[in-house]
Amino acid sequence: MSVIDFLKNNVEKYPTKTAIIDDQRSISFNELFEEVKNFSDSISFLDEKNVITVVAENSISCIVAYLGIINSGKIVHLVPHEISEDNLSNQIKISNSAAIISTSSIKKSYSNYKSIKIPIFEFKEILSNQNKKSNKSKENEFAYLIFTSGTTSEPKGVSISHSMVKFTTKNIIKILKYSDTDIDLLPLPLHHSFGLGCVHSSLYVGSTLVLLKNVSDLEQILESLKKYNITTFAAIPATLTKLLKFDRNTLEKYFSNIRLIITNSTTIPKKTVENFKIILKNGHLATYYGLTEASRSTFMIFEKNNGREESVGKTAPQVKIKIVNEDQNNSKIGKIWIKGENVIKNYWYNTEADKNIVDGWLQTGDMGYFDDQNYLFLKGRNDEIINIGGEKVTPFEIEEIVKEISGIEDAAVFGIEHEIFGQVIKLNVVRRKDSNLDKSQILSYCIKNLEKFKVPSKIDFVEKIPKTDYGKVKRFMLK
Amino acid sequence: MIFANILSNEENVKNSIKNIFFEVFPNLVETDFSWEKEQKDYENWDSFAQLNLITFVESKFDITFTLEESIDIKSANGLLKCVQSYLK
Repeated sequence: MSVIDFLKNNVEKYPTKTAIIDDQRSISFNELFEEVKNFSDSISFLDEKNVITVVAENSISCIVAYLGIINSGKIVHLVPHEISEDNLSNQIKISNSAAIISTSSIKKSYSNYKSIKIPIFEFKEILSNQNKKSNKSKENEFAYLIFTSGTTSEPKGVSISHSMVKFTTKNIIKILKYSDTDIDLLPLPLHHSFGLGCVHSSLYVGSTLVLLKNVSDLEQILESLKKYNITTFAAIPATLTKLLKFDRNTLEKYFSNIRLIITNSTTIPKKTVENFKIILKNGHLATYYGLTEASRSTFMIFEKNNGREESVGKTAPQVKIKIVNEDQNNSKIGKIWIKGENVIKNYWYNTEADKNIVDGWLQTGDMGYFDDQNYLFLKGRNDEIINIGGEKVTPFEIEEIVKEISGIEDAAVFGIEHEIFGQVIKLNVVRRKDSNLDKSQILSYCIKNLEKFKVPSKIDFVEKIPKTDYGKVKRFMLK
Repeated sequence: MIFANILSNEENVKNSIKNIFFEVFPNLVETDFSWEKEQKDYENWDSFAQLNLITFVESKFDITFTLEESIDIKSANGLLKCVQSYLK
């Protein structure tokens, strides 16, 4: 069963129902399926290779291309449009892609990329191909390929099978109760498993999906909530936190119809969770923990009286998570390993990365622990641990405290070399525009609220903390 | 007037360093503080507290101690002299 079968089910049940709305048009399930089949037939001339690259902003065309490639039995290689030439060239080489399919503006901007040797086609060029050939589904284990941008410097190809998509989608729907009556707002890019998982969920249940291109346009997000009577909204934690700049009454009004906000695994500030618990009068904020390699491994629905605002929730059905530490004790911080049908068996032609998968268990590189009610709490990444004279610290636990200081917009912690201690803590801080906060005030707060070895030894004020699209700090860029 | 300013600046530096000691050692009370009191006589002045003291002073006065200076500081007075050598 693939996402094409999800679509076919809806064509039978709701042929004329609106499947997707973007900023240009809307499309019914029946029309969507016809366009998907047409796209599949139009790429028959690219038959000699197994992978086709799609680079696009959120649009119906992008989803048609995604489904059309899968329908033809090929693998979709999804790439963010702001990718560097080096990275794109590297991914094309490793994926052995046949072509890039994109928009006219992206094609134009890539035309100067000398290292890209494969053809680049606009969506409309593909569809206008006169030599269409019936391109019926062939069996292929994989649906799509994403290179993890991640928080480390080495992108790895992660190929996701049809069975993984089905397993994860069913878990999403079971836990978050998506249904055909939902209208889902998606301003997240489709080159990441978060956004893509939302598309799969909508296609599975036959809800209507509203695509937005710009996750930073808060006014457009709020207007769309009302305009389309949105019932579910997918957003990264940073968007939710930024939305809190609007007054409570305004937000309560715009979110009155929302039954679910789903966000993802980067830590959500506790205050953001607490605020949305109040704002959502008729719904819940939920989050999940997962990697591209092990999507949606936990789910957390923030209940009014449960507390645990900093947890990523309980393990998903038929998924196993273990915490590996010296004591073999799940309630103490350790390395998080995941096993289940949502976990990849191998990386894409990367034997070095494959060493992270042992007997079906994926070593995530994340650190965390379970509380006594089996709620998982994340505590940073294993490779980010700072060793100060034998005392081990995760950046996360320091950042958490520093961000409590009034006048701090953002902060990132990392280890720097030190002649005596091996490493000491460096703190980069982004001050709020109206703040005159100085380093002594930050140190004073840290000394009062952290153990001595966790107090930063060097502080710099910076303009911005480098982050991935999904808000994870790119710590390798800080060093 | 100039002499008064110099005195005033010296007092400010001394007060700042004393305040930093009270920040780094929250259990320290006024009667226990002495400029001559040595590291070994403090209950909590270990290598991490030393690091905190150095960091705090460097941030406050916008100076950077050498490794040797950082290691040699054993009292509030030693820290004061080290800071003064940078402010001359």
